[in-house]
Amino acid sequence: MLSDIAYRLRALFRGKAVEQELDDEIGFHLAQQADKYVAMGLERDEALRRARLAFGTTDRAAEECRDARGISWLEQTSQDVRYAARVLRRGRGFTAIAILSLALGIGATTSVFAVLDAVVLRPLPVPEPNRLVVLRPLVRGDRFVLFNPVYEELRRRQHVLDDMAAISDSSFLAVTLPGSVSPTYVAGSLVSGSYFRVLRLEPQIGRLLSDADDTRSATCAAVISYGFWVRQFQQSPTALGQQLRVRRTACTIVGVAPERFRSHQAGYAPDVWVPIKSLTEPELLDNHRLAFFSGVMGRLRDGVPPAAATAALTTLYQQIEATEPQGPTRPGTVAPGPTDYGMRLLPGAQGLGVLREAFDEPLWIVLSIVAVFLVIAMSNVATLLLARGEARTRELATRAAIGGTRSRLVRQLATEGALLSLLGGAMGLLLARILTPALVSTISMDYFIVVLEPQASTRVAAVVAGSVMLATLVTGLLPALRLSRVDLQPAIAGTGRTTAGSTRRLARSLVTAQMALSLLLVFVAGLLLRTMTELKSVDPGFQPHQVVTIEVTHEDRGRAPGTRVDPDAQAAQFRVLDDALNRIPGVRSAALSWLELFGGSDLWLTMHPAARPDDRHDTRVDYVTPRYFETVGMQMIAGRDFTPADRRGALPVVVVNETLARRRLEGVAAIGQSIVFEYPRDQQPPFTVIGIVRDSKYNGLREDKVEPMAWASLEQWPQQVRAIALRTSPRAGEEVVRQARAALAAVDPDVMVRKVTTLEEQVDETVGREILLLQLASSFSAVALLLAAVGLYGTLAYAVARRTREFGIRMALGAQGGRLVGMMLREAVTAVGVGAVIGVPLAILAGYACRRFLYGVGPADVTTLAVACAVLAAVAVVAAYGPARRASAVEPASALRCD
Amino acid sequence: MGDERLELPQGTLDLLILRTLALGPQHGWAVSERIQQISSDVLQVQQGSLYPSLHRLERRGLVKARWGASDNNRKAKFYELTAAGRKQLDADARSWRKLAGAIAQVLDMA
Repeated sequence: MLSDIAYRLRALFRGKAVEQELDDEIGFHLAQQADKYVAMGLERDEALRRARLAFGTTDRAAEECRDARGISWLEQTSQDVRYAARVLRRGRGFTAIAILSLALGIGATTSVFAVLDAVVLRPLPVPEPNRLVVLRPLVRGDRFVLFNPVYEELRRRQHVLDDMAAISDSSFLAVTLPGSVSPTYVAGSLVSGSYFRVLRLEPQIGRLLSDADDTRSATCAAVISYGFWVRQFQQSPTALGQQLRVRRTACTIVGVAPERFRSHQAGYAPDVWVPIKSLTEPELLDNHRLAFFSGVMGRLRDGVPPAAATAALTTLYQQIEATEPQGPTRPGTVAPGPTDYGMRLLPGAQGLGVLREAFDEPLWIVLSIVAVFLVIAMSNVATLLLARGEARTRELATRAAIGGTRSRLVRQLATEGALLSLLGGAMGLLLARILTPALVSTISMDYFIVVLEPQASTRVAAVVAGSVMLATLVTGLLPALRLSRVDLQPAIAGTGRTTAGSTRRLARSLVTAQMALSLLLVFVAGLLLRTMTELKSVDPGFQPHQVVTIEVTHEDRGRAPGTRVDPDAQAAQFRVLDDALNRIPGVRSAALSWLELFGGSDLWLTMHPAARPDDRHDTRVDYVTPRYFETVGMQMIAGRDFTPADRRGALPVVVVNETLARRRLEGVAAIGQSIVFEYPRDQQPPFTVIGIVRDSKYNGLREDKVEPMAWASLEQWPQQVRAIALRTSPRAGEEVVRQARAALAAVDPDVMVRKVTTLEEQVDETVGREILLLQLASSFSAVALLLAAVGLYGTLAYAVARRTREFGIRMALGAQGGRLVGMMLREAVTAVGVGAVIGVPLAILAGYACRRFLYGVGPADVTTLAVACAVLAAVAVVAAYGPARRASAVEPASALRCD
Repeated sequence: MGDERLELPQGTLDLLILRTLALGPQHGWAVSERIQQISSDVLQVQQGSLYPSLHRLERRGLVKARWGASDNNRKAKFYELTAAGRKQLDADARSWRKLAGAIAQVLDMA
């Protein structure tokens, strides 16, 4: 053992000397043997010749000695790498294409996987994350919510979880820092006192929240994030004990959350955690059908299997719901009975899944797209290496003849592939550093600012290493093994033509695979393109062009907790603001509204016609100022719009959509009828219908049925304004927005502008995932097509070069150039044809895999499939044209001479 | 020459080398000469294939090498058996004899 190591080390560090010794030793042997022959009476020259013959190939013996030494792979590898680098430098164009395509494949795969890891896979940095569960209440199999009294009772009576925690996220929480007057808006979470205990976290400093903090009488305690502590308090321990005003409540900072902890879900990074009860009005929490949470999590008690916990919680939940008052029901449904309720426990290791649920599927699809692309890139490089390798058959045969062992040749070829893959991988990693932030920025949620920190986890590293290794295997080893099997004798004899059958078959199947996979990508891109055109042509029922929307949030700080805003003052404020906005030059009309069109949220109220109190149904409701319909471009089909005269104290009025009028109020005759809204809190007078507007989509272009909807006057029933819409003249620019901001600030300094966008963008945002998929699928399929073309071109060009003599003979025997062109084109079309036969089923499978994102087009759409095949065929013909021309231009005489 | 000479069975070259070196330190050429002499020119050893075996044995610590001068004063690499090599030779020779005996017995019986 020791001698082994000593021997290897000597060979490693004194490589030159060891090589020299080997030469000396063989030289000595030959000299001795020659002496012997001379003694037997031979001439010196003849003696040397005989000595060599008796010895065998000296190179091979030396090679085997190196192998016997066992260390030589290191020297050989460095030799191989130097040799491969030389070969690659010689073919710059090939090398550039190979490295770039591999870099793009590996870089994109790495980026997408890093984001997928951050959004979907990475567990929360808490102890035993696998014991965490998310409680998902269901009613008739549909997602439901836990209202606070139900949650509290469930928590008190259950015994399968260590504890449960309720969470309500607030992306724009008004926080007034110590020594500051006006609030800043930070991401925050309102949590139950059990939150940190369920997550089993320890504070960075101070203490975390406990049940004692989460009572109505407790003074508000706040935990701040590590990042907030660094930014606002420079990590000073004096942060503890300082006062923050959260909304209108004074809260004392009691601790800092651990450094690595961001929150209970991927993408959300709150700065402040405060107890739910100290910040929420008691009447909301007491209401059985009003206040619920962003999510409820729990930690499984030791030894309790998830299935048992699910069963126990479902039973308990049904018992509790049996005694709960029933809420309003959607049109045409029956109120659910206790057995309609169920409780599902979702794995909670990654926390609540708002971002995950939205982007899980698209990210997997994107990952599949880039992985398919990577496979195309790899087989493309393999194809080209193979073609080049074949062109080098004679070189290889010569090397084999002068003593290169077969394994050595394989290794040399594989080294070229490995070198390309490693360079591609290194460039891919650089590329990923650019791609990853770009991808993160395309992942966004309306209701929270996405903070993702894709990092080099072991999973990401494994994916990178895996793809580089796979690339090495495909690009290097596959061609190497195949080429080394080529019988090299005929090659050295000068023809090399009969040898190439199996190599060509492999090259052809690689090209075919590229064609098949390119077809898949082109087809998916085509489906998504059709989807986008279909979605773009959907009539939303309003006119989103030329409409600026401003999303605002409002926290008034002057008001004591529990008191209500004076509605008259609020209404007067709205009138002033509305007037100011409508007077801005370049604004054709402006309106305020409570909710935002295509903003993702809605409110439902139960209503009944005043004449039929039992005819109760749910309807969507919004509150708007006059000219709202004109501003967003909804068409009034009967009656009138609101006017400033529809103010507080005047007759309560309402505008309804066609669906509500038709389904509930006898159509156009609805005007003048009275309806009653059943508010959870107050009793309201009947509203008189004054107008009917055309039906429209409300939150998404994919909505296939219009829900009944009613609009009330914001000035009669003041609510918090969340959206401002401005219809501008075509030439109006940023100035309009600036003036609108000024008008807002003049009326209410506490208003914060969350987002300025256009209604068109707002509409586009609802199909953001489809756009993301389309962009990625189309760009990757375009590059894949290009690569497939290069691969096809490469194989055909080499085939032509190889068959120059054959073509020459054919030409000499009278074949027309056109026939030869036809032969080459046929070869290209065959590649596409076979590729299509394999690719079409794959493409249809891919279509089904992303069918949830398709609209107006089937996952196996024949037209799209036909177009994709045609595109592929066209690309193949273009790729084949050059080599075909060259084939037809062969000069018979020179071709026959060339061997 | 020629027809009578046998190809060396796999793995026996090492044994022959060890046996040859048991007589005393030798350089590679001498080992090849010796093997052919001892085997009365019956065994065919491609001279070049001797060296990988020698190097393998050296790596396994069964022989050790040093440079010295040959009879005609050339610089030559001499191999000599180590203690481990001697042990290995005994074990290999014993099992080889056993095997050869067994095969001979089978052949005689038939």
